[in-house]
Amino acid sequence: MNRKLIIRILGAILCIEAAAMLPSLFISLYYRDGDTLAIGVSLIASAVSGSAMFFLVRTEKNVHLRLKEGFIVVALGWILLSLFGALPFFISGILPHFEDAFFEAVSGFTTTGASVVTDFDHFPRGVMFWRASTHWVGGMGVLVLTLALLPKLTGRSAHLVKAESPGPSLSKLVPKTGATAKILYTIYGALTAAEFVTLILLGLSPYDAAVHSMATAGTGGFSNYGASIAAFNSVPVEMTIAFFMFLFGVNFALYYKFIIGDHFKAFYKDEEFRWYFFIALSAIVAVSLINLSHYHGDYLTSLRYSIFTIFSTMSTTGFVTLDYSAWPAASHMIIILIMFVGSCAGSTAGGIKVIRINMIAKLSRRNIRATGQPKKMEVIRIDGKAVEESILSQVAQFALMYIALWLIGSLIMSFDGKYDLLTHLSASLTCISNVGPGLGAVGPAYNFAGYGLVAKLTGSVLMLFGRLELLPMFILFTRSAWKKY
Amino acid sequence: MRIIVIGAGKVGYSLAEHLIAEEHDVIVIDKDDEVISRCSGSLDALCLKGNGANAKILLEAGVDKANIVISSTENDETNMLSCLISKRLGAQYTIARIRDPEFNESQMLLQNELGIDVAINPERATALEISRLLRYPFAGSIESFAKGQVEMVEFKAGPQDPFIGIPIKNLAGEVPSMPKVLYAVIERNNKVLIPTGDFVIQEGDRVFVSADMLKITEYFRFLGRNRQKIRSVMILGGGRISYYLSRMIVPMGIHVTLFELNPEKARTLSELLPKVDVILGDGTDEDLIEEQGLSQMDAFISLSNRDEENLISGMHASRCGVPKVVVKNSRMTHLDILNDLGLDTIISPQFITCSTILRYVRARENSNGTKIERLYRLVDGKAEAMEFIAMKGDAYIGIPLKDLVIRNGMLVAVIVRQGKVIVPFGNDHIETGDHVVIISCESGISDLNEVIYR
Repeated sequence: MNRKLIIRILGAILCIEAAAMLPSLFISLYYRDGDTLAIGVSLIASAVSGSAMFFLVRTEKNVHLRLKEGFIVVALGWILLSLFGALPFFISGILPHFEDAFFEAVSGFTTTGASVVTDFDHFPRGVMFWRASTHWVGGMGVLVLTLALLPKLTGRSAHLVKAESPGPSLSKLVPKTGATAKILYTIYGALTAAEFVTLILLGLSPYDAAVHSMATAGTGGFSNYGASIAAFNSVPVEMTIAFFMFLFGVNFALYYKFIIGDHFKAFYKDEEFRWYFFIALSAIVAVSLINLSHYHGDYLTSLRYSIFTIFSTMSTTGFVTLDYSAWPAASHMIIILIMFVGSCAGSTAGGIKVIRINMIAKLSRRNIRATGQPKKMEVIRIDGKAVEESILSQVAQFALMYIALWLIGSLIMSFDGKYDLLTHLSASLTCISNVGPGLGAVGPAYNFAGYGLVAKLTGSVLMLFGRLELLPMFILFTRSAWKKY
Repeated sequence: MRIIVIGAGKVGYSLAEHLIAEEHDVIVIDKDDEVISRCSGSLDALCLKGNGANAKILLEAGVDKANIVISSTENDETNMLSCLISKRLGAQYTIARIRDPEFNESQMLLQNELGIDVAINPERATALEISRLLRYPFAGSIESFAKGQVEMVEFKAGPQDPFIGIPIKNLAGEVPSMPKVLYAVIERNNKVLIPTGDFVIQEGDRVFVSADMLKITEYFRFLGRNRQKIRSVMILGGGRISYYLSRMIVPMGIHVTLFELNPEKARTLSELLPKVDVILGDGTDEDLIEEQGLSQMDAFISLSNRDEENLISGMHASRCGVPKVVVKNSRMTHLDILNDLGLDTIISPQFITCSTILRYVRARENSNGTKIERLYRLVDGKAEAMEFIAMKGDAYIGIPLKDLVIRNGMLVAVIVRQGKVIVPFGNDHIETGDHVVIISCESGISDLNEVIYR
């Protein structure tokens, strides 16, 4: 194993994390909420350890990162990122228990948005800004960012992007991995800026606009208000954020195709996008109709809340505009199903991903047909192109592992005997799908603060599994990952 | 540049690898799933599955914006078709690997009508390389620079060579009668070294010397190497390389004995090559080749389709005392192990094809910003020789080399001034318009100013 190379890449990740803390440091200097020292110390800690790892460790020329090592770097990188990212919360004393700070940081980087913070009124604004920044960095991926900035860091960098980017297969936009990473971050930045400007035009303060656009871009869901988006109580703001949540759930490759000349054809010709759009639309229609009696026949109000909730859940952002715990059970069930599905591959969102659901649906259809006509050869196509059988079986296994992990997570959480079954099941699901709020005692009006140490750690691990799409994390638990060769 | 490589076999893969190292945007097309998944893991390139002669795939690869399309699949027709379609779709320059001699005879037509800018025939290129080796039998490899005026010859340092144990800078003083040549590259224990003045050559090193042709000949005469002249050659295997090679060396007055197992092939060869003794039989059969006079041969060349057979036969021939043994090996890996076996010349058609194509790509690149005139790959690709033209106004012009900084691991090998070859020493300088050959262990240099500065 190329330990030296792995350490160097991890060092680069920490340096980038330190750089990402800079804006928060400036914010804290501006508002003087007493958190400058905490952020400064965390920044220096990451910068010093990062540059020590990066500059002091020398690798030989022409050392390539092997496939297994790519996965290990990604898994370790994310854990390290969260450990250092937890420092501002911990040092500033907002979350005096380190497991709480770690949970908050993991939740930020994995763009989950599940929180253990209870007191929003005394939250210093610098640390709050850092909390939102973690979403932005984690959304498109920190290794993708590393490669965008340092394309020459290692040979065979495709392994890294593959391990970090969501979706069954990696689609490069241009031949070079580094250039692809740059394009992705440019699109990401431009969309974030667009949302920021729109929110300011709608009357939000620049600080609120920045926090919310970063949280939307990463499909995270941390708000600087305890009531989340409901705090603004404005339909235009809700709809803007809903629209951008939808946009950030789309495969970024489509935006690139849109720009280089395919225009809107890029979207409607893409099968995954059509499924994504269709699932979101039918969920909105269904939920708004189910909730009609709950809102005493006021369809517009029902539609307003269902549009926001469905986009928020499907993009796995987890912003809330109301406590939907009071909705009928059928709406809850739809929300749970949508948490499973998530958004498109190559987006910043979590979940199983629409493309996998699409493949599994086609696979099931083929299996059903095959009972009647066992000799018939049938190729499964996506966008008219045949999908390899190996990918199909990987996708089916992925879904099974995902569900297994969800259930095991619920089991461990349920030992925390305070809550009911719905709470545990939804808490585990909301973590692995990187959504944020669940149902019951972790519903939109509450958060994970009431859970104990074990449940919080389980939640943190589940979030990392979900964000990295299982395999990089699983590989850490294999013996071969720690062997020298 | 944006370069599309069609067919990621041995040649295609190695080409892509080198082109990526030189910072090109590479798109690889291959019809095999497994090849594509291997490539997308290990190459920093866009890898597409599909047929390279399919316009849809080519457009997906962005052929309309491609600077170069290289088609190196197994199949000549696919290669020609891919180039034709690419050119029509807007590719600027196309290179095809075309092996069938039948096609080669209508090369001009192919190039004009099919839009193939360069047709590479790997077998012919290999045969050419072997024929050059037969001219200098003591050499492991020969490269020529500056339109053939300068040659760089590789040989193995023997125990009786006069330069052993003397630092290079003292050679002129201690062995005054030895012709002055440049010690460009030394390969020791599979490590490539660019020697400095204090370097001491040891027995067993592979030494690359360069000078103009006359000096080189004098030098080897002084070392006593050129006593052997090749008059008779035994070739194993009657493939295309053997055919081309025979046609090249028979006119040089070399007698050729060729072994071919397949009666039909043997018959055709004897028809096409009247002066060659075509023997119908197994060239790995010890008795048979001994009967044909193996131990009296000046050279033995093993060109069968099977690498293992070539290696074993080659080793056998060198044990029987054949002074020059050339062995074909298709794999480009493990070359260092083969060197240890004592076979001094191993030739890989893939390697030759790859370097030939790279040479065209780099020549093409001139018009695209970098200043390399020509590029040669040395020592199994571990070192490179680059030919630049010194530009007016560059910082190094007119200053003696000893007062300039030359980048580490690089060497100014030759200066060609108005057709005159100068093997440069500390007091020589570079003038505007000179052709300067730089030898380097690293690749990716694109400007002479990166190598020499004040």
